[in-house]
Parts: sequence; C-alpha cells; structure tokens
Amino acid sequence: MASPMGSREKILGRIRAAQGRAGAEPTPAELAQVRDQIASRERGPLPSIAAPADPIAHFKAECARLGTTFADVDSMDAVPGEVKRYLDSGALEAAIVAWPAFAGLDWAGAGIACEFRPAHGDDRTGLTGCFCAIVETGTLLLLSAPEEPKVNALLPETHVAVLRRERLVSTMEAAFALLRTERGELPRATYFVSGPSRTADIEQTIVIGAHGPYRVHVVLVP
Amino acid sequence: MKVGLFVTCLVDLVRPGIGFATIRLLEAAGCEVVVPEGQTCCGQPGYNSGAREASIALARKVLREFRDCDYVVAPSGSCSGQVKVHYVEDLFRDAPDRAEFVALAAKWHELSDFLVNVLKVTTVPACIAGNVTYHDSCAGLRELGVKAQPRALLAMAGASLTEMPDCEKCCGFGGTFSVKLGEISTRMAANKCEGIHASGAGIVAGGDLGCLLNIEGRLRREGDHATRVAHFAELLAGEG
Amino acid sequence: MEVRSMFFKQSASMKLDDPVLQAAMKRAKGKFVDGRAKAVADVDAWEAIRAHAARLRDRTIANLDAYLVEFERNAVRRGAQVHWADSAEEACAILVKIAADNGVRTVTKSKSMVSEEVNLNERLEAAGVTVVETDLGEYILQLAKEPPSHIVAPAVHKSKEQVADLFVAAHGKPRLTDIPAMTAEARSELRRHFLGADMGISGANFVIAETGTTLTVTNEGNADLVTTIPRIHCVITGIEKVIPTLEDFATLIRLLPRSATGQSIANYLTLTTGVKAPGETDGPEQMHIVLVDAGRTRLVGSDMQEMLRCIRCGACMNHCPVYQNVGGHAYGWVYPGPMGSILTPAYVGLENAGDLPNASTFCGECAVVCPVQIPLPDLMRKLREQQFDRKLRPFGERFGIAAWSFAARRPALYSALTRIAARVASWLGGRDKLIHKLPGLDGWTQGRDVPAPSGKTFRELYRQAKGKR
Repeated sequence: MASPMGSREKILGRIRAAQGRAGAEPTPAELAQVRDQIASRERGPLPSIAAPADPIAHFKAECARLGTTFADVDSMDAVPGEVKRYLDSGALEAAIVAWPAFAGLDWAGAGIACEFRPAHGDDRTGLTGCFCAIVETGTLLLLSAPEEPKVNALLPETHVAVLRRERLVSTMEAAFALLRTERGELPRATYFVSGPSRTADIEQTIVIGAHGPYRVHVVLVP
Repeated sequence: MKVGLFVTCLVDLVRPGIGFATIRLLEAAGCEVVVPEGQTCCGQPGYNSGAREASIALARKVLREFRDCDYVVAPSGSCSGQVKVHYVEDLFRDAPDRAEFVALAAKWHELSDFLVNVLKVTTVPACIAGNVTYHDSCAGLRELGVKAQPRALLAMAGASLTEMPDCEKCCGFGGTFSVKLGEISTRMAANKCEGIHASGAGIVAGGDLGCLLNIEGRLRREGDHATRVAHFAELLAGEG
Repeated sequence: MEVRSMFFKQSASMKLDDPVLQAAMKRAKGKFVDGRAKAVADVDAWEAIRAHAARLRDRTIANLDAYLVEFERNAVRRGAQVHWADSAEEACAILVKIAADNGVRTVTKSKSMVSEEVNLNERLEAAGVTVVETDLGEYILQLAKEPPSHIVAPAVHKSKEQVADLFVAAHGKPRLTDIPAMTAEARSELRRHFLGADMGISGANFVIAETGTTLTVTNEGNADLVTTIPRIHCVITGIEKVIPTLEDFATLIRLLPRSATGQSIANYLTLTTGVKAPGETDGPEQMHIVLVDAGRTRLVGSDMQEMLRCIRCGACMNHCPVYQNVGGHAYGWVYPGPMGSILTPAYVGLENAGDLPNASTFCGECAVVCPVQIPLPDLMRKLREQQFDRKLRPFGERFGIAAWSFAARRPALYSALTRIAARVASWLGGRDKLIHKLPGLDGWTQGRDVPAPSGKTFRELYRQAKGKR
C-alpha cells in the first residue's frame, strides 16, 4: 500500500540498502524465505514450570499468586449456585451480565438477576466463558466473537469466568496451536487475562483494580 | 614456569606495595616471576574513552612485552578483562594476528583466579585478623567471573568474611568517569561506603586499585580514617 | 518530546540533591531489582530463552523489510489500514488527518513511547483534538505537564503527595492520601473518557508478521478499553517491533514482564487483528496502523544494530547505578538509562546527547539483565569512539587521553614522568597521605580525597631491588 509521500518505499529502500540489497521491495524469493520461516513455527526453549507434575495444582497456585480466586464444581448446572455463593461471600449484588451461551442455566433459581448482553459501564459483574486456560501462568484466553463480548470481562468490577477442565492447556504455545486447529485464524481480539487489573504507578505500591476488574473468579467445571 | 607480572599503571604509580605483594604470593606458590621492563598500560583508559587506535597500539606493545612468558598475572580484574575479553573480541577480532592475542588471553590470569584455579594454592603467607568485607569490582566479576576466588584466599588466611549489602554494585570509579561525572561518581562511592559500614567490617578488600582508591577517598572525606582499604594481595602476602 | 540531553550533567547534579526523587528511586530500585531476581529464579531455562530471543530478534532485523511487508499484507487482509511514516512529523500528520477525516474530537490513549518521540499529543491538541492519557502514570504526568522518566513506570519519580496535589487541582474533589483511594478516583475519572472517546490510540509492544496482529502488554486494562470501545483504533509503533510468529511472542512474553516488573505474566496481553467482524458488538470499525521509522533505519546495518532487538522492558535502567542515582529526566529525552544513552544519540544526534554514552562506568549490569542480550556497554563505547573521531569531547579530555597514550607507548618517558608524578603527589598528600584538592581533578576531589601515592613507582623500586641482589 503506497503512501502519498512514498514513505513506504523510502523506508524499505533504506533498510535494503543498509543490508546490501537493491530496490525498495522484498523479492518474491525473500518473501518466500520469510514465509517458510514463519511456517516452521519454531518454538523457543521451555522452562520446567511449563510442564508441572500436577497441572491443576500448578494452575491454582498461579491463580492464587495473581489474586484470581477459584472454585471447583461438579457440573455446569452447579455454576449459578457457585456464582451466588461467590457474590454473597463478597457482599456483591446478585446481578450479572453474561454471555448468551449461559442462558440455559438456572440463574433465577439461584437468586441471580442475569442479563445476556454486552456489559455497560455501570454493570458490576460480568460472566464469561473462555476459549482455554494456560496452566503455566494461570491465564485465561478469551476470543472475541459476536455472542462473546470481551467487555463483559473488562468493564465490570468483577469478572467470573467459567472454565471447562478439558480446556486447560500447558503453555501459550499450546494455546496458539489449539487456536489454529479449531479456528484457523486469530479473531479480532485475542485476550489473555491473568488476574484482576492492577497498577503500581503511585510510589510503586501495587493497587488491585486499575481500569479493569477488581476481582477475577474462575469456576472450573468438568 | 615463568610468570610475567603485569603490574598495572595504577599499582606502579600509587601503590607499588601491591606489586611486591603479588610477587611474594606467586613466589610463595613456587613461581619464577619476571617483570618485563618497559610495561606501562594495557590501554583501557584510552579504549573506554573511544581512542581506539591508541589502545590498539598499546595492546600490541603488551603482546610484545609478554610474549615469552608462560603465564601473565595481573592484580587487576579490569586490566585482565581488557586483555582477555576486549583485545580478543573487539580490538583484534578481525586482525590477521588475532591468534596471538587469543594465545595471550589464554595464558593471562587475574591474580586470585591464578592462585586458586591454576596454582591451586591451599595456604597463603599471612594471617588476617578481623572482619573483612569484599568489594566485587565490575570487570573482574562480570567479564572474568572473579567472585569465589578472592574469598577462598581470604578464608585461607583465616579472615572472617562478612558480606556487605550490594557487594557487586559498581563503586562509581569507572576510570575517567570518576572525574568526568564526578558528582554521580561520588554518590555511587558514598552508596558503597554505606554498604561497607553496614557490614561492620574493619577492612574492605578488593582486587582493583582504581575501585580501592575511589572507596578509600570517599571514606576519608566522610571522616572515616579507621576502616582499612586494601588490595587482597596486600592482605594475603602480609608485610614484606 | 523536547531534547534536553545536552544538559545531562547539570540536570543530574540537581537530581542528586532532590530528596523526593531520591526517595522515589530508592523505592523503585528495591521493587524492580528484587522483583526481577525472584521472577528470573523461577525460570530454569532463562539463559537459553534469552539466547533464543536474541537470535530471533537478529533474524528478524536481518530481513526487516520482508517481515514488515508480510505484516502489512496480513494486517490489510484482515481489514486494517497500514501507514508508513518516514519521520516524526509525518507520523503526526497521518494521525491528525485520520482524526480530521473522521470528525474525531476526543482520543483516549494508552502508553506509547513512540508517541512521545514524535510529540503526538501536542500535535493533536493543536489540531483541536482532546487527548486523554489512560495509563495511570501517563495520566499523572499529563496533569503535571511533565515527560515520563521511565519507559514502564513513567511517573516513578513522583511521590504520592505530589500526585494527591495534582488530583485535587484536576478533579476538584477532596484531597486523598491513600494510594488505593487515589487510584479509585483516577479510575472513575478516566472511565467516562474511555466510554466517550471517538478514537483510541495505542502503542504496540510487538506486531506479528504471521497474522497482521498488533498487541499490547498492560496490567491496568487501559489499553483494552482504548482499543475496544472507540469506533476508530490507531496503533503507532516503531518498525523494529515486528516479530515473525505467535510462538515468538510466547517466547518473548516469558522474558518481558519478568525483566520489567518481576511479574511472571502481565495482566492483559491483547492481540488485535483487524476490525470488528460482522455481528460483533465490540471493536472498532476502522483500524489504522502507523509504522514509524524516525531514525530506526539508520541503525540497520550499523554498529548500533543490536539496539533494535530491544523489547522495552526497562531492566537496564532499573539496574543501572547511574540511573538509580539520577532518575530518568536527567537523560533529557524519551528513553533514559543505558538504552536511552544509545537511542537518544542515534535518534537526535550524537552532538546533542554527548554526555549520555559517557554516563556509564561500564559496570556491565545492564548487559547481564537485558533479556535479549544487547551488549549495551559495548554500544556505548562505540558511541564514545564516534565522539572521539568527530572531536566532540572537550579539548581537555581529548588532550589528556592523547598525552597519556603518547607517554604510555614510550617507556623511558613514561618512567620519568611517573616518577615525578609519584613524588609530587606524595608530597601533596602530606602527613595524612591524603590529597584534598588536585588541579584538573575537581570532579574527583569535590567529593573525595585522593589517597596519596607512596612516593616511588613500582618499576623504579623493582629495578633498585633487582640491582641489590
């Protein structure tokens, strides 16, 4: 895509000249070489923490380090009950906005007022699923999709994430591999969330709850 | 085994006792020590100031002077780093006679490393009374891995070692930096002196005279005339 | 940002005597240095990962043009518009035009050091656009009308009292001194800006050639609000930020947060690829990516090329004893510490930033902690060589080095001169054996004594001793 002042050509031309190559465009051979290198998907070295003996325990420990709280339930049906318990334990209002995927659960029965829509600025608690979670770092991966608005994990003060056990993968590399297999391409937003938001910009003192949520709660279902 | 002593410009000018202590230590360990006559400087001051040609000339001079020694030993981490790292990896990296500098680097040792890892001494001439804290000079530590060796030698002398906080932190000497950016250098020296006082030791030892002069200069200006500042060679060789 | 690097020495002098700054730097040093050490200790393959990262960055730079073109192809394919900015002025002009073309009145911004380089905020404001910084540190600085003093923790130099005063003046609410309360106040003030902005401008920690993705690494969540809510998202980033693959990002993200703040991972890693898909509620309608050169191509193929590996973690400055003592503002431009000592001369000219590569003892700690193995002291030394060749250093310095080198190559002359110097200096030391003042060495003697030489040189004493045997 050419820019009005030919800056693209100037920039590329300077790079090439500095490296002893003529012209202002990479040649087809050079591009092919770069594409081959990309396609090789070469991975870097993995530390031992990428392969813990007890992945679930490691994931829970990483969540604890991040300030993410955690609950194990027996089935998807038990999720509303767990969410009510969690909200009550924090004296939080029993009203949430959730992804439509969770519309089939018995929220009313659990005493929670639940709307299935993207979060607005004044929603207090957002419920989402996740594409997968990374054991190495206690990280949730959310992918943007029409019925899975990211704002539900971002705008409210509390974020509750439902995670299916089989969606735990060991590393970020494994998460990308799964994403490529199941979705092909990255969606518009690929969003790795590791704990509640924080800042240390005032006197290097860590404060939880900067612009994103103050609380992240993971509910693990089989 | 002919060991050439590279005495260093600072030791030659300011504290010749360190040179003689070095000789005593080497001879006590069974070495024949020679001191090539015309030696002056490894070239580091010019090198770090960007005077590349001059530092190349001085390096060639060093090569000539120490060619016939089996080993070369210097009581300095920074001079030794200049020869072992910067001659080989920078100044003569593309030179036709690079192999000669590689050979020089291979036979060149910082003093504590030579005593511990080559001569493998188990005793040293002197006994050291009192608490000693050790300042790790930057080049020796980061370019040559000098860390355990001087401590091992001090322990052989019976010294009781107490580590200061931030023992590996730069004291602020940095050669001409100490004059060019003197205020910052002084503050760094003051930080180092704080660490020394926190250790409670009565003696601060090190392996580079530049650092030691910087540290002593600041201690004295602060009114501390009690803390002894010494090169480990002086402590280990005793009074000669 | 205005260049003030030529005033480094004076500025450093003032900072050494600034108690608020000194307290702030002390606080920061403990957090960053200890934090990094603990985090790195968890990673047994740390050195191997560093080496791999250095190689992957070098490989990318060696084919920078091809990777950039591949990135552009994929970004465009996914609906983004890619712009190329040769200079700082052009980068600003592009963004001002995008704002004008789209009737943009307010912009929310997440941290971008490139935007500081090019003075973007000023240019947008001059064009009638309101810009709100959303990273808490940058927001504080925007209120203070100050530049950042650190690339990761931009307001590290400020005390909470200073922040409290700024908030009172800006928010008109009662003065707070509790840090969590102040943060909560900033959160609610900024929340309405987030929700009302027409355009969001972010930097990019990296851009990925494989997918046409730009990405941000934050803890606050501000970058996500900046890039998701407004209808237009603009990314401004340097051309050296391109990395080949998602796997390369996975490798680099093991290094970056640990090196920067001691975290095993940052809270939000957001990879943005293109625009809002049909049926999506989140996301911008337009995405513009501005790839900025502004001097970077001069580093390609030069002695300074390794500097392009930099992943902007800040570890070098956190561990630099000079930076720890004077803070970031003394360096006078966007990038402080060791990386600033190299980038500033490279981007604004060596003649404007000469003291920066000299503001180092070459202790080497920066090279030890750099996650991509940039030989920072060696690069600073090369800049000193350039200064020497171009005669940019003061005459006294150049003469001193020339005289030293001249004498050191002539043993007889050297011997004579050193014998005189040893005697004179010893005499000056008096009974104390301490010299309190030496002409030409004021830099030393203003704060330290000079322990006096013993009076004779080693070489003459050795010759004497040998003569006796």
